[in-house]
Amino acid sequence: MTTYGMVIDLDKCYGCRACMVACKIENNTPEGHFWMYMFRLEEGEYPNAKTTFLPRPCMHCEDAPCVTVCPVKARYKEENGTTSMDWDKCMGCRYCMIACPYGVNYFGWEEPEDISYLDWDDPDVKAATGGAVPGYANPDLDGRYGEKNAHIAGGAHKHGIVGKCSFCIHRVEKGLDPACVDNCPGLAMHFGDLDDPESNVSQLLQKQVGFQLLDETNTNPRVHYIGGSPPSKDARQLDIVKGKE
Amino acid sequence: MATISPMGRRIEISPGLVAWLGVLAALILLGFVNFIRQSTEGHHLTGLTNDNPWGLYIVGFVFFVGTSAGATIIGFMIHGFERKDYAPLGTRALVFGLMSLIGAILFITVDVGSIPRMMRLPFIWRNETSMFTYTSITYYFFAVLLVAEIYLAVKITRGQGSDSEKLWAKWLAIGAVPFALIVVHAPHGSLFAVVKAREFWNTPLLPPHFAVLALLSGISAMTLVATASSAASGRQVLSKETFSHLGALLGLFIAIAAVMDVFDFIVFSYSDTITGNTAMDFLRGSNLPFSIVHVGGYAVALTILLTKRGRQTPWLTVAAAVTLVAIASYRYNLTIVGQAPPLMPFLESPDYFPTWTESSIALAIVSFVLLGYSVLTRVLPMEEDAGSLSEIVKE
Repeated sequence: MTTYGMVIDLDKCYGCRACMVACKIENNTPEGHFWMYMFRLEEGEYPNAKTTFLPRPCMHCEDAPCVTVCPVKARYKEENGTTSMDWDKCMGCRYCMIACPYGVNYFGWEEPEDISYLDWDDPDVKAATGGAVPGYANPDLDGRYGEKNAHIAGGAHKHGIVGKCSFCIHRVEKGLDPACVDNCPGLAMHFGDLDDPESNVSQLLQKQVGFQLLDETNTNPRVHYIGGSPPSKDARQLDIVKGKE
Repeated sequence: MATISPMGRRIEISPGLVAWLGVLAALILLGFVNFIRQSTEGHHLTGLTNDNPWGLYIVGFVFFVGTSAGATIIGFMIHGFERKDYAPLGTRALVFGLMSLIGAILFITVDVGSIPRMMRLPFIWRNETSMFTYTSITYYFFAVLLVAEIYLAVKITRGQGSDSEKLWAKWLAIGAVPFALIVVHAPHGSLFAVVKAREFWNTPLLPPHFAVLALLSGISAMTLVATASSAASGRQVLSKETFSHLGALLGLFIAIAAVMDVFDFIVFSYSDTITGNTAMDFLRGSNLPFSIVHVGGYAVALTILLTKRGRQTPWLTVAAAVTLVAIASYRYNLTIVGQAPPLMPFLESPDYFPTWTESSIALAIVSFVLLGYSVLTRVLPMEEDAGSLSEIVKE
């Protein structure tokens, strides 16, 4: 069995947010949607204050609350352990957003062309891109996927349904790492098979004691953090990226 | 001006009735236009955000499921406790229950992003572990139950009911209360209570609290139905003794709901968690007006109902109306404050307030419920027409 997971080494993360940018480029997420988010936190008081960083993709929990509550099975577990999303089934009730303790879900409040970073109808943009297909309608990602013939997250973005990080499963199927992992300049992010004791992620977890975010919720996240500690109760966010308001 | 309905009932079309229906129709039209805008332009026209994904529509949904469940109490009074003095309210209560249920379904319909996909729940797509799947099934069964009860009530009123149909009507009415409370509304509370991520909701006390509120909102609504029907027909639909009994019931359930709220308040005021502190901050801060209406409404209604005069119109009407508004405020606070505590300690609390678009759509649904009730209770035969209708049917 394969169980994909991620290990993030907080000692090596310096908060550059390249992971966020890589995710945006790979998955064409609209403004205000961050399938990967990097929290820049400040903890303690002067003169003992310190800055910490916490990258937050979807945790792809083993006991995913979003999967439990989704009334139409739009959110489901793949055999490889990822928590996937069937775009054709999601009816937009947003129960998954209510149930997820990590806030990784983003609802399509508007048509994606209205919240994309570029106005693709603008003549200057058309001239610059040579009439390229808009990012929010990327045909490479908009295909049907998997044995269940389901649309997965990572495809085009739509109004009225929920999207979230897919662990870039379209890349993983091709033998690549997720975009955030591939583009991390500090080599802080690692991706692999948690069931394989020889994999990079298993080796890292054997060497260092890590933690899982909000482990008190018993969701058993497949994202593990090493080289740091969970944010303290007095942690404050420094610069919040919100995108379009 | 008067006309005869297809069911043989004489309908007085007064200028007041025309004005009332006209205002409701105008509000429905306005809300419908805004709903089309929301569907085409997007949900960003509402005050909802990724941090606060449920808002006024869910409040309306919860409120109307409660009133629909509570409306079944009248049938139980008539057949279960053999209080025949409640009989004039029998069909009205069923019609109100059905329109409330339709209102609840309309609220969830305008809330979701894809209505065609929603229509596939639960018959084509369903997840057995989701409380929403379960409750959606119960709404359909409850709607069928209410329609069957209305059908039998109309038939009996027209003098066409057989003995077996009368027996069915009796047992359906008796069975409707446990069905509405245990199968429909308490699991409705579980929609919230099962969410571990929202500590404010995650308590096994929420489903019974919902059941109590269903009874309270049902009794309040039925009191208003009785007083409004009396005002519209120019004669008292219920006797003084029955109004007094209704008032006493209303007071009893306000007291039970208030006691539950008091213990909720005590528990959260002692909490040292972020959830407890944030909840208290919201209840005393930005949501204070709703907290005042909730607590103050119960206090005012209870004070009125403690007096003998308070259990008769017009004071009983005031107490029932104030109670309904207080319950709506409680539902609002429950839904919004439940999402207020940040999921992680360093996140900000969301800042939600319904927009004009959202409010007008909600108002349109409330108007639709009232319009449907106003029309149906004039078209369908009511219990007081039993004698005259039997003769018309015989002719």
